[in-house]
Amino acid sequence: MRHRGRGIACMWYPIGFTVAANPSAAVVKVNEDGSATVLTGTVETGQGALTVLGQIAAEELGIAADDVHLVSGDTDATPMDTGAIASRTTYVTGNAIQMAAAEAKKILFEVAAPMLGVRPEQLEARDRRIQVIGFPQKNLPIGEVAHHAQVVMGRPPLGSASYNPPTVAMDPETGQGKPFSTYVYAAQVAEVEVDDETGEVEVLRIVAAHDCGTPINPTLVEGQVEGGISMGVGLALQEEILFDAEGRQINPNLTNYIMPTSLDMPEVEVDIVKNYDPTGPFGAKGVGEPTSVPTAAAIANAIYDAVGVRIHSLPATSEKVLMALREKRAMQKQIPAE
Amino acid sequence: MEITIRVNGQERTASVPPETTLLTMLRANLGLTGAKLGCDVGDCGACSVLVDGEPVNACLMLAAQAAGRDVLTIEGLGDFQELSPLQEMFELFSSFQCGFCAPGMIISAKALLDKTPNPTAAEVREALSGNLCRCTGYTKIIDAVMEMASRGAAESERA
Repeated sequence: MRHRGRGIACMWYPIGFTVAANPSAAVVKVNEDGSATVLTGTVETGQGALTVLGQIAAEELGIAADDVHLVSGDTDATPMDTGAIASRTTYVTGNAIQMAAAEAKKILFEVAAPMLGVRPEQLEARDRRIQVIGFPQKNLPIGEVAHHAQVVMGRPPLGSASYNPPTVAMDPETGQGKPFSTYVYAAQVAEVEVDDETGEVEVLRIVAAHDCGTPINPTLVEGQVEGGISMGVGLALQEEILFDAEGRQINPNLTNYIMPTSLDMPEVEVDIVKNYDPTGPFGAKGVGEPTSVPTAAAIANAIYDAVGVRIHSLPATSEKVLMALREKRAMQKQIPAE
Repeated sequence: MEITIRVNGQERTASVPPETTLLTMLRANLGLTGAKLGCDVGDCGACSVLVDGEPVNACLMLAAQAAGRDVLTIEGLGDFQELSPLQEMFELFSSFQCGFCAPGMIISAKALLDKTPNPTAAEVREALSGNLCRCTGYTKIIDAVMEMASRGAAESERA
């Protein structure tokens, strides 16, 4: 008989390294055609980092994301980056890029101010223009200002900046410190069906609510959450590296190391909890690793809700669930233990 | 041995050792590197191509077995200048992340939609179950195929 159950799990997760330095740096250059070039050491691995970082630069400069050309991942040309790790790229590299873009923008404002007959602090960058706050009809195209800055004023509109999340090492006497600059939070609910004759668990649905600060690109946030959930489902039910007595892996292939396929993936609902972190670029934090943290715990709780057994080692394979069910029945003296 | 295959509508010939797989011939001899070499034992689906309209793992098929037959690879669908409607749909849904599974996934989706223009979600999941993806959780891939089907554009998806 198949039993349905639901489980919930919550988590917090830190962004960046634990106290250790993990800086990112960036160079931003505004070009005479109104486009911008960003040099960053970070690497696009498919998560959409360069899309998000381009959006951050564009937002700061008042231009379109398509106007931003990112040069990445090659330290011949770019600053070193600590890495696309620790769920840190949007927050740490994003902060560096926003700060570098703000520097370049400051030069543009100082150059544009006398051209528009106002003070630099009266200007804003929007819609590919430098315009007077409150009087948007008084404006100059950003490319024209960049050209003027370069060839008339001799002040190329460049900015460079680095960001290292502020932390405080633990005081060994008090145990107090500030290990991370910021944290994200999430809750996931799993709905499962457990077959009490085979021990097989099917995950029907996962509902995931994630706080990532401001979602710079909600579609990419969803993609990260959905991908993290598939890894969490694998961790919960399928994936296990097996070793023989000599410590050799006996399943070093995809035939025997079973990862989720499209048939194992539950229905997923993603709820992006809108939040704002004043220390992040435009309020953003991060979303990478946290997405797979609560999934397995939610599934294990759902198994307990469905059939009343606690699985304490992952993956919760059919064999393990069936053994737990048999032990439970033996305890209840319904059927003899084998 | 000399093998001639009709690849993406063109007769292509290569002289290869008899044990050469279709995937090796496509990638090494014909320069078509869209189909990927993943597991090389037929588990991951990254090497998926269509042979006479049927999806196969090109790593498991000998090139000689494909001689004289019609092979469609991802290069036969579209390119950066002009994507096919199915490829555009995957782009619209931001379906892929690292992209390694993408050529095989798109080929499997095309194989399904060519035969079953209005699949159920379960049929889509079944059709894609031979293509492993580590990044995306499949969700936006399945959504894109379902949307493609609902727009009834499968018929116009001709190589």
